Amino acid sequence: MIDAGRVGIVLVSHSAALAAGTAELAGQVGGGEVVIVPAGGTDDGRLGTSIDKIRYALAAADNGAGVVVLPDLGSSVLTLRALLADGTDLPEPLAVADAPFLEGAVAATVAAAAGGDVKAVVSAAEEAWHARKL
Amino acid sequence: MPASSEASITLAGDLHARPAGSLAIAAAKFESSIELTAAGHSADAKSVLSVMGIGATSGQVVTVRATGPDAAEAVAAITGILADATKVGS
Repeated sequence: MIDAGRVGIVLVSHSAALAAGTAELAGQVGGGEVVIVPAGGTDDGRLGTSIDKIRYALAAADNGAGVVVLPDLGSSVLTLRALLADGTDLPEPLAVADAPFLEGAVAATVAAAAGGDVKAVVSAAEEAWHARKL
Repeated sequence: MPASSEASITLAGDLHARPAGSLAIAAAKFESSIELTAAGHSADAKSVLSVMGIGATSGQVVTVRATGPDAAEAVAAITGILADATKVGS
């Protein structure tokens, strides 16, 4: 059941498979209650990033409670920055989480599922820097 | 002084990613701080990565300790999730 009051999440990766797989895993850990939209790869299906894919994903993730975006590396960050600098028709509020991609996506999804706002979701994602797995 | 409450449970299965997620989502609803301890490792129950990080496995005893105004309810809810979510086959 997708709740209209929850923050949406966009995962920006160079790889469509990586973005989709991360969305699948984070969605399952989060109990399927959060909209997570992958934006991976170029428009013609190669490794890379697409400003149009990110733009569509932001709109698709927006339920009215705002959107948190996690980029994977390098040009994901640069393409996202270019889109945010352009600034038109973006969800409000919108925030970028500076976090490890998979761990941040899982933590962000759980925080959104628990009803956290954009700020709480970003801080949950960024706490992933400090989470040890061993 | 804030109320505190504590209970222990023996896990029937491993604490996998999915139950860790359900546990953290449920824990976030309480005002109390909630700590899990298993085999000397502690975790903040409201942080899914922290909960997964303790690596609790079948047969281990997990202690749930809550401190705050809804401590007793929090401990009851979290031990209930640990009992249900780690059942074999879940």
